[in-house]
Amino acid sequence: MSKIRIAQYWGAGCGGCDVALLDIDEKILGVAEIADIAFWPIAVDTKLKDVEAMPDGYITATLYNGAIRNSENEYVAKLLRKKSALVVSFGSCACYGGIPGLANLTNAKDVLEYVYTKTPSSDQQHTKDPVFPQHETHTKYGDLEIPVLYDTVKTLDQVIDVDYYMPGCPPTTNLINQFLGIVEAHVKNGAPLPPKGAMIASNKTLCDECTRKKTVKQVETVHDAFEVDIDPEKCMLEQGVICLGPATRAGCGAKCLEGNQPCRGCMGPTDQVQDQGGSMLSALASIYKVQDKESQMSEDDILKIMAQVKDPMGTFYCYTMPKSIIKRAVKEKKKVKKEAST
Amino acid sequence: MSQVQVTQTEAKGEGEWEPNIIAFCCNWCSYAGADLAGVSRLQMPTNFKVIRTMCSARVDPEFVLRAFSKGADGVLVLGCHPADCHYIGGNYRTRRRVALLRMLLEQYGFDPDRLRLEWVSASEGAKFQKTIKEFTETIRELGPNPLKEEQEEKKH
Amino acid sequence: MVRPSDHVTPKKVAFLQCVGSRDEKVGNNYCSSVCCMYALKQAIIAQEHTQGLKPTIFFMDVRAFGKEFEDYRARAENEYGIQMYKGVRVASVDEDPETKKLLVRYSNGAESNVEEFDLVVLSVGFEPPADAHKLSDSLGIKLNKYGFADTTVFDPLSTSRKGVYVTGAFSAPKDIPQSVAEASGAACKAGSQVYKNRVHYEAPEIPETDVAGQEPRIGVFVCDCGINIRGTVDVPKVVDYAKTLPNVVLAEEGKYTCSADFQEIIKKRIKELNLNRVVVASCTPRTHEPLFQSTIKEAGLNPYLFEMANIRDQCSWIHMHEPERATEKSKDLVRMAVAKSRLLEPLGKSKLGVLHSGMVVGGGLAGMTAALDMAEQGFPVQLLEKTGELGGNMKNIKSEENGKATSKRLDELVAKVRKCPNITVHLNTMVTDVSGFVGNFKVKTNKGEELETGAVVVAVGGQQYKPKPREFMYGEPNVMTQWELEEKMLTGPLHAKNVVMIQCVGSRNKEAPYCSRVCCTEAVRNAIKIKKATPSTEVYILHKDIRTYGFREDYYKEAGELGVKFVRFNENEDPKVERHGAGLSVLVNDTVLGETLRLPADAVVLSTGIRPYHDNEDLAKALKVPLSKDGYFLEAHMKLRPVDFATNGVYLAGLAHWPKFMDETIAQASGAAARAMTIISRDYLETEGIIAAVNEMVCNGCGICEPVCEYKAITIVKDPSNPDKLKAMVNEGLCKACGTCVAACPSGAMEQKGFKNAQMYAIIDAALEGGK
Repeated sequence: MSKIRIAQYWGAGCGGCDVALLDIDEKILGVAEIADIAFWPIAVDTKLKDVEAMPDGYITATLYNGAIRNSENEYVAKLLRKKSALVVSFGSCACYGGIPGLANLTNAKDVLEYVYTKTPSSDQQHTKDPVFPQHETHTKYGDLEIPVLYDTVKTLDQVIDVDYYMPGCPPTTNLINQFLGIVEAHVKNGAPLPPKGAMIASNKTLCDECTRKKTVKQVETVHDAFEVDIDPEKCMLEQGVICLGPATRAGCGAKCLEGNQPCRGCMGPTDQVQDQGGSMLSALASIYKVQDKESQMSEDDILKIMAQVKDPMGTFYCYTMPKSIIKRAVKEKKKVKKEAST
Repeated sequence: MSQVQVTQTEAKGEGEWEPNIIAFCCNWCSYAGADLAGVSRLQMPTNFKVIRTMCSARVDPEFVLRAFSKGADGVLVLGCHPADCHYIGGNYRTRRRVALLRMLLEQYGFDPDRLRLEWVSASEGAKFQKTIKEFTETIRELGPNPLKEEQEEKKH
Repeated sequence: MVRPSDHVTPKKVAFLQCVGSRDEKVGNNYCSSVCCMYALKQAIIAQEHTQGLKPTIFFMDVRAFGKEFEDYRARAENEYGIQMYKGVRVASVDEDPETKKLLVRYSNGAESNVEEFDLVVLSVGFEPPADAHKLSDSLGIKLNKYGFADTTVFDPLSTSRKGVYVTGAFSAPKDIPQSVAEASGAACKAGSQVYKNRVHYEAPEIPETDVAGQEPRIGVFVCDCGINIRGTVDVPKVVDYAKTLPNVVLAEEGKYTCSADFQEIIKKRIKELNLNRVVVASCTPRTHEPLFQSTIKEAGLNPYLFEMANIRDQCSWIHMHEPERATEKSKDLVRMAVAKSRLLEPLGKSKLGVLHSGMVVGGGLAGMTAALDMAEQGFPVQLLEKTGELGGNMKNIKSEENGKATSKRLDELVAKVRKCPNITVHLNTMVTDVSGFVGNFKVKTNKGEELETGAVVVAVGGQQYKPKPREFMYGEPNVMTQWELEEKMLTGPLHAKNVVMIQCVGSRNKEAPYCSRVCCTEAVRNAIKIKKATPSTEVYILHKDIRTYGFREDYYKEAGELGVKFVRFNENEDPKVERHGAGLSVLVNDTVLGETLRLPADAVVLSTGIRPYHDNEDLAKALKVPLSKDGYFLEAHMKLRPVDFATNGVYLAGLAHWPKFMDETIAQASGAAARAMTIISRDYLETEGIIAAVNEMVCNGCGICEPVCEYKAITIVKDPSNPDKLKAMVNEGLCKACGTCVAACPSGAMEQKGFKNAQMYAIIDAALEGGK
């Protein structure tokens, strides 16, 4: 039996996904038994030019983590697509944009300006002509180039064709093992692979895995998790702490809830839902207790109640803004009447 | 998703933008109010298309987001007056969702006034007319959906 | 809007009330009951239609006594600024020969005025049909002195001949809701004669074509509606456009697509072309969807494979001056309907069993009447009364409007209920919780019982407004309510030289902005009684309007003839009651004379209104039915479904609905009983097709949907395939198809049949394709 070849690459992400792959512990030995690592910058010393030299389809499976946020991310994603038989969108950033995806609230110019002149650690806070990274720099030793930062963060499947998805921030070892098991069975015994586009996770939501006790889903006041003593036995949402569990795909084992923290939605929505944020927003607004005097309440009263959710975007789209229906912030030509809250 | 070919309706003059508005109407109050406007021959701009749901509370925030993503310049959600909902309290859910949705749209950079919730009863043909007239004007003032504008700019 | 004579748009329009009503000269002394509201409505519509139009209405009294009519009157006056003259008689209308303007001469108190108008509208009243006498002769029924069918207070639906019933304006002028309620009531009475031969008509089952897996084959029918659509919209263009849409195999124009002929055409086309979806572009689905659904059903298609585009009410009629744009919009609307129709699925209805028994909540006149009507047709009835005895408000009413004593009537009615073997009376009993659904309700009571019923009639009544201490000096000697006056007069003559009655106590004010409907007649009746007993007693009735509608106007006239004095005061200028030593006096600003009068009074009688019970809210919650803003129960449709609730199987009668007279209560109660019997007489009921449904592959019982459902149709249950897991379950009988839970469901497991997410996205996307 010839070994398969796998690759792992890191786009706009934090590196956690790479570590997650190492976290499978001794199982990695099993991987080594069936697979050679064709490309994995954090673990093996294959250069990009080596990949460019590989024949098309040479790599059996690429696990691509991180979002597509600059020209290099995009180039490598496209390159690996060409060189790989299967591409797995690995982790929340690749699948939904993840935390970097929140940059879609702004644009590249503003991001760079903030990072290079406004952060407390920047020594350019008071500089008259601050310096910013340039795509091309000419030096006497030659021309240097760094990737172009894009205005819009994209998911992997918005740039290349993707075969499988494995969400999670990062994907749990359980899911990784599940996928490796599938591949191993395929390689060793010719077991069929899942259909293209399959999610390597559950298609139920997190409540399916969560062991907390549920009574009546009704909310009167919303609290931040740090503001209240959270009862570890009771449903988080029923305690007024916004938990995205009901709108989030299961598969992570409800780890955050085990740690007495609410779900923030890294696994993304189920197959039936287009927009995780919109879906959870609707659910939360719906379970606010209807009050006796609601018929006499003004629109302002209602706004006041709903304004308990301080940051709807950050709350409901923490991991999924680039995959949302709207995808990124827009700019009205005419001035927006009220000052935007972010 | 539908597989309809994009069939351009006849151009209303090159470059001349006209507001394109989706109005979600509940079957029992606002859709009936819209019908009454018709029966009373109350005239109003053609810029809106009504989508009927049984209750305004069937209007999933995703419908509104979808409409904006497909280029709607404005979205109206019309339901029964408070305490007058055919389904007892559906409209209260709608009101909360719309409040939250307007906050979200603002974060997306949209003028929240592109989404409006109004109560129109079955006997308020005139209010339906007024709402359509006013909202069309609001949208005309705001200009085209910026998302659609940006997509158009990218194409050129 | 134009003046018929010269086609000029009028600016000033006068509505003259009581033309042919309340008029001895033409012999119609009665009030036609509906013209005041009609004129208000027409004035508002006229103003909305024509910019700058100023309507003026000349009223004798503004008789806005129906449900929420007073709100409408206030809106007309305050929001629309419609000019209203009250207490005014128009003397003449003359045309200025030169300007063609109309000069309206009217007297307002002592003053005589002339005002110029461009157009005058006569608010003509009701008359009995011209050939009523023929009908009366051939049926052998008695007519009253005005030529309407003669009825009595306690038998308002019966003519003078047994087995012949009457409904609608033939027994007295009346408005739509009352006519509709009475019509059901008359059907109930007629049913009591023939119920033993009850059969249910069942349409023959037509085998349904299986369309599963078939590519959509859509037929589009575009209606001209005579000139209603075709006059504005270029229908052939819309038809041609429809032909270009994917999956459309036929597009056809129809002159009237709702005609019987065209139903045959639709059926023929379905068969010829194997259509499996039908789209009709015509008027509103709210009125016509059922017709087309039954047409396609007859052709073997599931009725839910139908979609409608509203290109008349919501297009041609509202864009009459923009034919091109209206045509474009019609195309858009057709494209949207076609897009949705492509994804439509056949929906099934399941059959639910029905309990053949009824329940009435409230043991007053309405409740006892409804219970007897159902019992009479063989249905067991549970009658729940919260107090310790039957009778309700009727215990306090001593006489009919004509003065006849009512106490015997009440005793008879109670005895009849008590003796009726089909009726079980539960005294001191209140509803605490209601579960189940139409045909199968389970009602829990404060006594811990659980009663079962197929339908519920709400007849909990209302209560007399009790004046607050010191309100009009109430609580002082010789200040009393009308009921207290009646009570007093039963024991002997009233020793008073001057009696002052004050109307609208606790009605038509900030706290209760509505008219209590009955108090004017009550005051007039008592005034007559006083005058007949002691003619020398001066009786004053201080009022905002005298609302003795219908034949009650005769009593108003009689009171005037007996010397009762009527003084009109302003809406916001209540009279003041003062005490002078042992005597009382009433200060009132007479709007007709324009001066303040001080009337000495030995007795001040307060005409207190009717209020809803506070605990209506609890019952409304238990039954999942709404209350109106005034606290009365809110029916499904104020005009067309006056005794139904939006919740199937629950009906409404009596003061719980709105203040009303005894005859009206009885007629309405029979109507509610008839409506309830349309349910409990059935063998089975069918569920809605467009209900919510759970995708069990996705649902994990997170519970978001459960509290969101107003009908308690959703419960979170243990997953039968895995008892460790939960899932949501929709009770098909309880689901009312609002879709609230579907929009709330965060996992996408809940869907509304016929309004599925994918179907809604298709219609949204189609709406925005092609648009500019």
